[in-house]
Amino acid sequence: MNQKKLLELALGKGGDYADLYLEQSLFHEIILRDGKVNAADTNSEGGLGIRVVKGQNTGYAYTESSFAHDREKAAKTASYIADGTITPKGPARFTTLKLPDRYNILTPWDSISPQKKMPYLYELNELIFSADKRVKKVTARLADSTSHIEYYNSLGIHCTDIRPLASLSVSCIMEENSQRETASASRSFRMGAEFLRPDLIKELAREVVSRTAFLFGAGQPHGGVMPVVMSAGSSGILLHEAVGHAFEADFVRKNTSIFSDKMGKRICRPGITVIDDGTIPANRGALNVDDEGVPGQKTYMVTDGILTSFLHDRISARFFNVQPTGNGRRESFRYMPLPRMRTTYMENGTDSEESLIASVKKGLYVDSFSNGQVQIGAGDFTFFVKSGYLIENGKLTQPVKDTNIIGNGPQTLAKITGVGNNCLIDNGTWTCGKEQSCEVSCGMPSVLVSSLTVGGRL
Amino acid sequence: MRNAFCSCEFTDRGRTLMNEKEWLEETCRYALESSLRKGAGQVRVSAVRDVSNGLTVLNDSLEKIQSAVESSLMIRFFTEGRYGSCSTNRTDPAEIDKLIDQALSSVRLLAPDPCRILVPAGLRYEGPPLQAADHREISTETKKSLLFDCVKSVYGKEPSLISVTADYADYKRWLHTLDSSGLNCSSEETWYSLSAECAVKGRGDTRPSDWEFSGGFSPESIGLGSQTPSDCAKRACKRALNKRNPGKIASGRYPVVVENRITSTLLSPLIEAISGGSLQQQNSFLLGKLGKTIAASVLTLVDDPHRKGSPGYRFFDNEGMATVKRTVIEQGRLSMYFLNTYYANKMQMKPTISSPSLLSVPMGKGNALSLAGSLKNGIFVTGFIGGNCNTATGDFSYGIEGVRVENGQITHPVNEMVMTGNMLDLWQKLLATADDALNSTAWQIPSLLFDNIEFAGL
Repeated sequence: MNQKKLLELALGKGGDYADLYLEQSLFHEIILRDGKVNAADTNSEGGLGIRVVKGQNTGYAYTESSFAHDREKAAKTASYIADGTITPKGPARFTTLKLPDRYNILTPWDSISPQKKMPYLYELNELIFSADKRVKKVTARLADSTSHIEYYNSLGIHCTDIRPLASLSVSCIMEENSQRETASASRSFRMGAEFLRPDLIKELAREVVSRTAFLFGAGQPHGGVMPVVMSAGSSGILLHEAVGHAFEADFVRKNTSIFSDKMGKRICRPGITVIDDGTIPANRGALNVDDEGVPGQKTYMVTDGILTSFLHDRISARFFNVQPTGNGRRESFRYMPLPRMRTTYMENGTDSEESLIASVKKGLYVDSFSNGQVQIGAGDFTFFVKSGYLIENGKLTQPVKDTNIIGNGPQTLAKITGVGNNCLIDNGTWTCGKEQSCEVSCGMPSVLVSSLTVGGRL
Repeated sequence: MRNAFCSCEFTDRGRTLMNEKEWLEETCRYALESSLRKGAGQVRVSAVRDVSNGLTVLNDSLEKIQSAVESSLMIRFFTEGRYGSCSTNRTDPAEIDKLIDQALSSVRLLAPDPCRILVPAGLRYEGPPLQAADHREISTETKKSLLFDCVKSVYGKEPSLISVTADYADYKRWLHTLDSSGLNCSSEETWYSLSAECAVKGRGDTRPSDWEFSGGFSPESIGLGSQTPSDCAKRACKRALNKRNPGKIASGRYPVVVENRITSTLLSPLIEAISGGSLQQQNSFLLGKLGKTIAASVLTLVDDPHRKGSPGYRFFDNEGMATVKRTVIEQGRLSMYFLNTYYANKMQMKPTISSPSLLSVPMGKGNALSLAGSLKNGIFVTGFIGGNCNTATGDFSYGIEGVRVENGQITHPVNEMVMTGNMLDLWQKLLATADDALNSTAWQIPSLLFDNIEFAGL
């Protein structure tokens, strides 16, 4: 059965819209543990997801089978979100989207054997052990995947995308006077095997060694409410948790976001601009096209302090009568698309990081993070700080580690009183877990938040 | 005969001639024998087939329907002393053969790892298939009625309600595992779940929300077949209403009751720290603590895999090792590590089991409210927001929400606070365990009362 007929079958109960998402993915991973690359994994999977939309409601079914009758059955199942009977007409013809190439694969992953990948892990292991005698264990993982996507919808849109993703992560255990500490570092890009470069290995080795060694002199800080300076780069987790999720328009459409009534209103001071961007070449959050046939784009969510756009999929865009923003994303063919972030960051301000630190009499400076979470409606969010420093009288003093920071999204945005001029995108293996897993990244210039609640000892 | 099967009488039509169990057995057998023919040496093969359905009602309309049939095949190779794995959802013989060829070519390049072995005779499971399935068919109309009845209890009745969502999900899962040393085990399970989430109007722009959940292997566990509609949405709504107008309280040390549905967050770092992967990599604050006191004497923790009808009920783990009832912690003393064959060999210890199955805490009394009733000035924690625990040191920090307790009475909701400490210290401060564990989760940990825990707030 061809795609047109399948779409007609999906619309057979009176659905407004239908789409087909075909995926074939190949994943490889090799693991270094205890000094040897001694484990490998290969995963190959594929399938077809069929979605039918009626108003704001969705029918979804998927099949792994390429047999016509399994696909027809999936289309019929999805069609039941509507309950009428019509004789639908599929699109007269499909128009194939012309898309940019933001991944620019020079060396496809399937042309590289494990033999060529392994030396990079051995080199990483060697560099880490030789950098510090306290190193006891190193575990490193190199993963690559290539997904072939083909998409059709009842509006007559067709597109294809070949998405690479490469990730290298390493963790290190050190021991000193019976105290053990662990830290990790990672890099991830949408690119081919040119990802593997000697300077990347050196950079990661340096980073994981310095992060782990730092922890021996650090402790959990004294807890309480205080000003916090967030360093450039991975502090973008603040944007992802504090505001990004609440800007995802499925929550807004259901009126469960704390920002539901704020469109067009000032939500933070002038000079602050927050962007969600799918156009950064080779970035982990980059997309040529989202998972419902909308080209990847750059979306200004907050412009000069004013809320200017939510993040839309096709359903919310139709509800709000705006254009979709290319944020309809899914983990795989097994999932229906939802509004999801891509690369979320804040544009540069005018302050130097030094001046932000110097303005704080007693507070905290934070520079690496592991995870975060938010309550969309209440607005409360947290992020876990792996390392940072106390700020005392405008200077960085005692190193700190392992503390959770909590705040309220809209209030925290309003409490950003200084923005640095050093915006940096973090290229770690960030993954967002809203119902499904999606690769994202984040970035930020250094910022000063005038008060947040810092977990800690008394 | 098997070649005939492989050359493909195995079509969609062929599949309908076999039941799920026969299909899994044939798929496993084919993959095992093909791997051996290609020189894999020793092999373990697992195949899974899932049939799942889901429906969501938002307020007064059916928002989503989902349906899927999926298969997966995982092959682990123990080849010339080397280890690797591959997996796929494409289970026709040609795809399986192609994947085996690819994976084996990678595995042969790896460094040898003699600690990787199949489960030895004597440890492997050799009993009958596990049956935890309810075979009754539930019609879509019945599922819809369950959901609409559930939301009706609050929708249009509670003035502060913004939205109510109710989700129904079910699956049937068949699993079969074979290895080249004679392991042959299988299971058949069903699972039904019903959950509801309510968002209500709070102070200012806030929209606090909360959820309730029920689940089990039979339809009765979610109220199907009962004359009384599920009160899931009603309970979720009540919880959300109770979260309105929260505030922080002063930083300090408080006695704390942690509610049954979130206590697993606190137990999880302990379980991770006594798991082979963490111990062997020396990334554990419980390294060297076997046989020693790690918690207050009121804590006894049992892993009881053979309690029929409970989540976590299983006869064998993912290696095919037979499960047995074990005491994990006895009156505060650590009695075991979770060691699969690999990490046991690495650590030169005897294997136990790869992971816990059904954890419970016997001999508690009362429920969360009765524990809270004993507090003069404390906090009843009903939710954790973000946070993390450093597995090497045990230092933790979690965001919390809950209610203040004064003179045994709940006075007002609290939020934006952080609970911080060290896991070894926390569990030494356990004063009492309740008898209110939820039976819809595999970790059935009751509400817990701890003394003198550090909270950062005002």
